[in-house]
Amino acid sequence: MTENQTPVLSVCDYSLDYRVGSERLSVLKNINLTIGRGEILGLVGESGSGKSSMASAIMRYLAPNAVENAGTIHLGSTDLRSQSARQLADLRGRRISMVFQDPSTSLNPTLKLGEQLTEVLIRHQGLSRAQAWKAGEERLAHVGLKFPVEMMHRLPHEVSGGEKQRVVIATAFACNPELIIFDEPTTALDVITSRQILDLFAQLQAETGVASLYISHDLAIVARTAGRVAVLQKGEIVEEGETEPLFRAPKHPYTRALIGAVPRPDRRLLKGDPPQAEPLVRVRDVSVNYGRRSLLDSLLRRDFTPVIGNRAVTLDIKPGEVLGIVGESGSGKSTLAKAMTGLNRFDGLIEFDGRPIRGLGDMDRAYRREVQIIFQHPDASLNPRQRISEILVRPLKLYGGREGVPVQRQIEEMLDRVRLPASYIDRFPHQLSGGEKQRVAIARAFLSSPRLVICDEITSALDVSVQASVIELLMDLHQQTGVAYIFITHDINLVRQIAHRIAVMYRGDLVEVVPTQAITSSDRAPYTRELVAAVTPPASLTLTA
Amino acid sequence: MTDFLRRLLMTPQGLLGSIIVVLVLFAAVTGGWFAPHDPDAMAALARYKPPGGEYLLGTDQYGRDILSRILSGARSTVTMALLATVLGTLLGAVVGTASAYLGGRWDEFIMRTIDAVMAIPSLLLALLVVSLLGAGGANALLAVAVAFMPGMARITRAVALTVRKQDYVSAAIARGEGSGYIVLREMLPNVVAPIVVELTIRVSFAVMLFATLSFLGLGAQPPAADWGLMVSEARQYLHRSPWILIWPSAIIAVTAIGFNLLGDGLRDALNPRT
Repeated sequence: MTENQTPVLSVCDYSLDYRVGSERLSVLKNINLTIGRGEILGLVGESGSGKSSMASAIMRYLAPNAVENAGTIHLGSTDLRSQSARQLADLRGRRISMVFQDPSTSLNPTLKLGEQLTEVLIRHQGLSRAQAWKAGEERLAHVGLKFPVEMMHRLPHEVSGGEKQRVVIATAFACNPELIIFDEPTTALDVITSRQILDLFAQLQAETGVASLYISHDLAIVARTAGRVAVLQKGEIVEEGETEPLFRAPKHPYTRALIGAVPRPDRRLLKGDPPQAEPLVRVRDVSVNYGRRSLLDSLLRRDFTPVIGNRAVTLDIKPGEVLGIVGESGSGKSTLAKAMTGLNRFDGLIEFDGRPIRGLGDMDRAYRREVQIIFQHPDASLNPRQRISEILVRPLKLYGGREGVPVQRQIEEMLDRVRLPASYIDRFPHQLSGGEKQRVAIARAFLSSPRLVICDEITSALDVSVQASVIELLMDLHQQTGVAYIFITHDINLVRQIAHRIAVMYRGDLVEVVPTQAITSSDRAPYTRELVAAVTPPASLTLTA
Repeated sequence: MTDFLRRLLMTPQGLLGSIIVVLVLFAAVTGGWFAPHDPDAMAALARYKPPGGEYLLGTDQYGRDILSRILSGARSTVTMALLATVLGTLLGAVVGTASAYLGGRWDEFIMRTIDAVMAIPSLLLALLVVSLLGAGGANALLAVAVAFMPGMARITRAVALTVRKQDYVSAAIARGEGSGYIVLREMLPNVVAPIVVELTIRVSFAVMLFATLSFLGLGAQPPAADWGLMVSEARQYLHRSPWILIWPSAIIAVTAIGFNLLGDGLRDALNPRT
């Protein structure tokens, strides 16, 4: 579809600053964008590039400290910047609507889904409550919800994340708007659900011909979804063009770096074959249950059903092996990691280097030294009130570092190994960037010379280019120290690059453990096949590669 | 630190609260040095004097200078209030953090006990302690500290519970750190900010609670220059010379408001994001 007349959205020479104290922070610089009818424009960029500020500017929902220049934003022939608050309230939902990242926070938890959906219809189309309710049921059926009539009466916490996002999308499409802004609509969902949501989006888009601005940091998804792509770097559009040529031959170095950083399963980062040795760790029938039977329950002899975290998981990890664990959120990946590091009670047996461990009491200092964990959010795993020096000195104090080498010297050497300057030793975590913080967390784990490091989604909070450098660091450390990794992630493309074997988990059960090369083979378990099929192959990014 | 002070003094309530609290603390430290008269010197010929002239705020029923008595009374009243609050806060913070860290049945037991104690109004609890231990300054201090402990424990526990779930605490447990290190070095520094805010607000309650105890004759004993006691004694002469009552009451109110404003200002300054 081409732009036949005036574009639906046109942004012209638009700049935006935020006033922070006495300074001005520039977030958007001279943005020019147009989206025609039926077109999907993908806006990609890393965190802090100004993607979400762009969405707020179009919705005219800016923070009070925002300062705009004279640039214009037009919706059709309407000048959005000159609209009054009342006019804007009338526009939003009727002519522009928005789908947010996390459906569990964008829906009001105290209102029924039906009430939230019909509100738009009553407000903008003047339907009566009964008419709107009827129309709402139709819309829910249209977005592929199986029981629309029941669904209308449910509260957000009673339905799954994917169903919630379907309701949000139904609401966005309810008044047949001219423009819909999608702000990372699948980031909070797991792989299979997000694939279904993308298919639904493509179908609705084709039916209604609405213009869409699709904001995402995930290049693979944008490449699959959008017709045209704009790449945003630090508030500037550095490159814009049709999706296919842009991804095939990116001109700007930043675009090239972004595309290069996307994990591709065919490019193995792990060198060498899986080691042939006796397993370092044997996990035997490890189960984790959450919740505890209350005193009242046991007095009244009421039945107690605990929440199951893991159900009889059995695994082996060889020394120096990289084992990937994949699965959707709530599949018990992190629960297993916590059980292995003594953060959860568990039933069953973990054998570490021949020593049996049946519970938290058996995890002595030697075990804790040899098994280290790195968490997902470096912001949360580094104490904000401690300097890097205090954070890094703890493993040395607890387990004893190398004899005869001053503690300060050991910390500096470790900082050098994770490629951080020694001057960082006196800083607080908030003075570091996300990637640097994660390097400090890695340094803390390696200071105790462990034999097994559990990485719990350690790159999922990071931008794709930062992720690539952290992964490279992990692989280097693996080469140098011969440590074994358990690498927990939901990014299957990434895990295929770095793991010897991949364990697939589903709702607390271990589905299967397969060698990485065999993950795509057709005799895999049905769930594994479903999971692999749902992943957007990054091959669409590199058509000529 | 300078940045923090700047943020504190930028807000109107922070600025005003800081000024009042600094003045009150100054009076408490210097005590009677600046008092124009001896606070305990009686003058038979200068009884019930209205404000003005030689006696800036007037004199009381024994001809004692009210300004001097207020200035020298600041030491006992404000110091006692601060000490009692700090003592109560420390006890409460340790109980609250420990309860959050232990969790499970221990947490239930500690918090339900605290709930039961909280059901007793703090004045009544303080009265109970004082009547058990006998009237007097030190006992009043203990009484106020005991009365404040449950509230502080509950607030600290609420903050400590969110800190308990942070990954840095998990990381410390996975490392095999001892409970003492985790509670004192990992958790406590991260719950200090809200506790400090609550502490300043509580000081104002303590000032009033002490005044009430003295008013009821269970705190400071005559002829001490204590604000609450001054109000209590002045009650009989209300119609003859209202100034004797008004000045100490006003200074109690201003001090309470000052600490309250400072607490508000601190809350804003310590949480720049809200």
